[in-house]
Amino acid sequence: MKRVTILHSAFTILFGVAVLLFFGLAYPHHLHYQEQYQLFLFDSTYVWDVVRLPGGVADLLGRFCTQFFLYAWVGAFIIALLLSAVQLLTLRLASAFTGQTAESARGWLYGLSFVPSFLLWLFLLDEHALLGGVWAVLLTQLALWACLQIPKGWKRYVAMIIAIAILYWMAFGGSHYYRYPTVVPTLLYAAWLSAIVLPIIIWLLHRVKKSDNIQQQNNSLTSYLSPLTSFALVALVMGSLVWKNANLKAEKVMAYDFMACHQQWNRILETVNAEKPNNQIGVTVQNLALAMRGMLVDHLFDYNQNGILGLLPDVQSDATSPMPTAEAFYQLGMIYVAQRTVYEAQEAILDFQKSGRCYKRLAQTNLINGNYEVARKYLTALQKTLFYRDWANETLPLLGNEEAIAKHPEYGRLRQCAYDEDFYFSDHVTPEMLESLFFSNTDNRLAFDYLRAYYMLTNDRDSYARLLLRLQTDTK
Amino acid sequence: MKQALYIFITFLMLVACTESVSDARQEASQPRIYPDYLGVTIPVNIAPLNFCMADEQALCMDAVITDRHGNSLHSQGEESVDFDIDDWHTLLAQNRGDSLSVTVSAKYADGWHTYRPFSICISPDSIDYGICYRLIEPGYEVWSKMGIYERDLSSFDERALIENTQFEGCVNCHSFNRGNPADMSLHIRGPHGATLLRQNNSPIVAYNTKTDQTLGLCVYPYWHPSGHYVAYSTNTTRQLFHSADRNRIEVFDEASDLQVYDVEKNELLLSPLVKQDSIYETFPVFSADGRSIYFCAARALPEGSHALDSIRYNLCRIDFDPVTGNFGDRIETIIDAEAQHKSVSFPRPSYDGRFLCYTLSDYGQFSIWHHEADLYLLDLATGESRPMTGANSDDTESFHNWSTNSRWLVLSSRRDDSLFTRPYFCHVDTKGHVTKAFMLPQRNPRRFYRDRFFSFNVPDFVIGPTHFDGRKASRLINDEFRKDFGVRKNPTL
Repeated sequence: MKRVTILHSAFTILFGVAVLLFFGLAYPHHLHYQEQYQLFLFDSTYVWDVVRLPGGVADLLGRFCTQFFLYAWVGAFIIALLLSAVQLLTLRLASAFTGQTAESARGWLYGLSFVPSFLLWLFLLDEHALLGGVWAVLLTQLALWACLQIPKGWKRYVAMIIAIAILYWMAFGGSHYYRYPTVVPTLLYAAWLSAIVLPIIIWLLHRVKKSDNIQQQNNSLTSYLSPLTSFALVALVMGSLVWKNANLKAEKVMAYDFMACHQQWNRILETVNAEKPNNQIGVTVQNLALAMRGMLVDHLFDYNQNGILGLLPDVQSDATSPMPTAEAFYQLGMIYVAQRTVYEAQEAILDFQKSGRCYKRLAQTNLINGNYEVARKYLTALQKTLFYRDWANETLPLLGNEEAIAKHPEYGRLRQCAYDEDFYFSDHVTPEMLESLFFSNTDNRLAFDYLRAYYMLTNDRDSYARLLLRLQTDTK
Repeated sequence: MKQALYIFITFLMLVACTESVSDARQEASQPRIYPDYLGVTIPVNIAPLNFCMADEQALCMDAVITDRHGNSLHSQGEESVDFDIDDWHTLLAQNRGDSLSVTVSAKYADGWHTYRPFSICISPDSIDYGICYRLIEPGYEVWSKMGIYERDLSSFDERALIENTQFEGCVNCHSFNRGNPADMSLHIRGPHGATLLRQNNSPIVAYNTKTDQTLGLCVYPYWHPSGHYVAYSTNTTRQLFHSADRNRIEVFDEASDLQVYDVEKNELLLSPLVKQDSIYETFPVFSADGRSIYFCAARALPEGSHALDSIRYNLCRIDFDPVTGNFGDRIETIIDAEAQHKSVSFPRPSYDGRFLCYTLSDYGQFSIWHHEADLYLLDLATGESRPMTGANSDDTESFHNWSTNSRWLVLSSRRDDSLFTRPYFCHVDTKGHVTKAFMLPQRNPRRFYRDRFFSFNVPDFVIGPTHFDGRKASRLINDEFRKDFGVRKNPTL
């Protein structure tokens, strides 16, 4: 029996390690993506606003865990832990139903205990799937398991009625398990249902098998082989489903966004040199990295281009695509444009959550623009977070401190790059905007490179020549 | 449940900071508190004016409010003072028409400091039951969570009428007939666009306000005092962003007209005088007697021109016959703002017919994004106009409206941080004297206003709870049925 227990633990650990490695190695930027579209605050008002709604406890636990996704391996570990817990609880529930210990192997049925976890894994492949859904399943299992610990009789039934009411508030009634409010997360519901139904099926099948004297099998080789086979079968089938459904293309796009967000210019160049991006975000980030390293004009056509849309794309009304463009606006010194783009991106988050990344950038742009009270508002909110707190604490003393801002390597430079002349702009960046930016401060090399790249991509030789002529005239 | 949580938090705060003010250093200056309630005039039925020290270094603060009769009210807290709501109302009722003295002490690292007392005047004029507003984050084209909310002004209770979590889209332009929610209008924009109308407490109906004879959907509603008509504008609105101006954005019309909707006959009433291609007409409001329509009008820009700083709106008036629904035959310019290189927006006549309050900015009509925008008061008897200095600040003042007794004005202002709009109130007496504006009270103002990333949009008075059934309304919104606005056939058109 002990060996069987060890075998089961080994399978669970194996599963957990597979989840960890998958999210840590193949899907890390999906986790970063999740993190940047929520803002967990250690604040009573925030907590209350979440938990007071049906399903709020599961949602809150999900949000709490998601903040750790800033570090992909920590996020992968959390997911591995949660999915393993779901598997173990499925097994426990089956045991509780059958009245036997979990270690008394369910033989070939054992593999079924992994099905809810695999379904949740499949669910989490979708970048819009929220971790609160996993917690909702786990809380349901925990409540059911707790009820089954109570001896059969009226007390158990009363406990179950109370548990259902509490669970409605904690998990059942929730609708915030998927970022699109109108989409029904079928996979999650399938996992949820299977987490409850499968133990019952195991119990039913176990009753049938009982007559065949299952106990006899426990002492034979079959007691090892059958769980191994069933696990291998489920792992193979569902594992291949996971791999097949993994959106590795999106992962690449998210990787570019992540690298741009963290200003990893060298890493971006290494990545594009290994595999040239053929999506708009990738090209935008590639060009930004080239510009940041002073290589944009000389190496523009060494890489895939998408016309001017690959340089500074029009701002779209979604939460994802504007962010790398906003990074380019920010680095160029187009602070108002960057700020407006980030505002819009944050407003476009489908489940109305806020973003730590956006708050940080809004604090920075307001600081650069001298809107210190607005910057303070964002920084104060970030002080209530786990991972942005230190940065907020370091930035707060800068507010109103003109000398310190002027000396700051980033904010000081960007202030000097600000537009001299006022003009109107909309969603489309024009060469006139870049020209005005460059001639506001001719030390702004990035603006110069972007402007030249703009003319090169549009094959506008006349404007290019005029630009050089004007530069010569102005310099004289 | 939330109430219980507040009580628990208050209890914790009381436990955390309950000490007598001892060995306090007497300061010659008055305290710097947030919100700034120094010397304000308040209505007798307003919620407690809780406040914090303006700086965040205070370890504890203490406030004692006293009247001339020896009554007092005391509160102490770490972050803010939180007066007992019943005791507060009793004290205010006892001092109607009189003033209160507030002594504030704050404990800093070097000990207690007691500041020179300041006064709060209690006006004999009461204020309406509450205000209604939209809460929205200051985005531009994309919107996140928003909703229309009502707030009881004598307490801190806030309730959502409807939120855009209940449907896909945006909600705006709530409007009531002189604060009476029995007549109300509400716009929904987006895939489920509609105008919800409720007349005389009858069931809400969802309308399609776009007709083939008007520019587009109806915007900026204002109820006729009889409740039979609603004045609307239709606006083709665009926005452009500044690259380097203090004002970040310009929201402007490329075309706009006026019309009046006859609620009972389901007919839009049109007039060529307020439907001119060469003029932008917007923000229509009925006069107190319902026989005139005030509105803003500007000369239209030539097509393709972006000289937005040359669009300047004057305040105009046209007659309106409430019996026939006919417009007058001439437009009168009441304030020639263009001549002063200024622009008028949001005219709002007081319900007693004495005054008209409006916003004056350098140009355009979307004054909330103009930091220079201020409120002005037009004396309708004399025609004189003057800035409402007490109510204005160095930053934006924009939308506003009158209480039903015409003695209080609710106004939206960005003075707090230049971006997030907050509601303020000021008293206007029969002679047009305007008192210093005070911010909408909150239980813990700093926590409330700092932690909330919403702007209070279009704050307007309501005389009682709206009894608006948000669930029923959202069912209407999500349903496809819309009743079409009709148009009255007019031989002059």
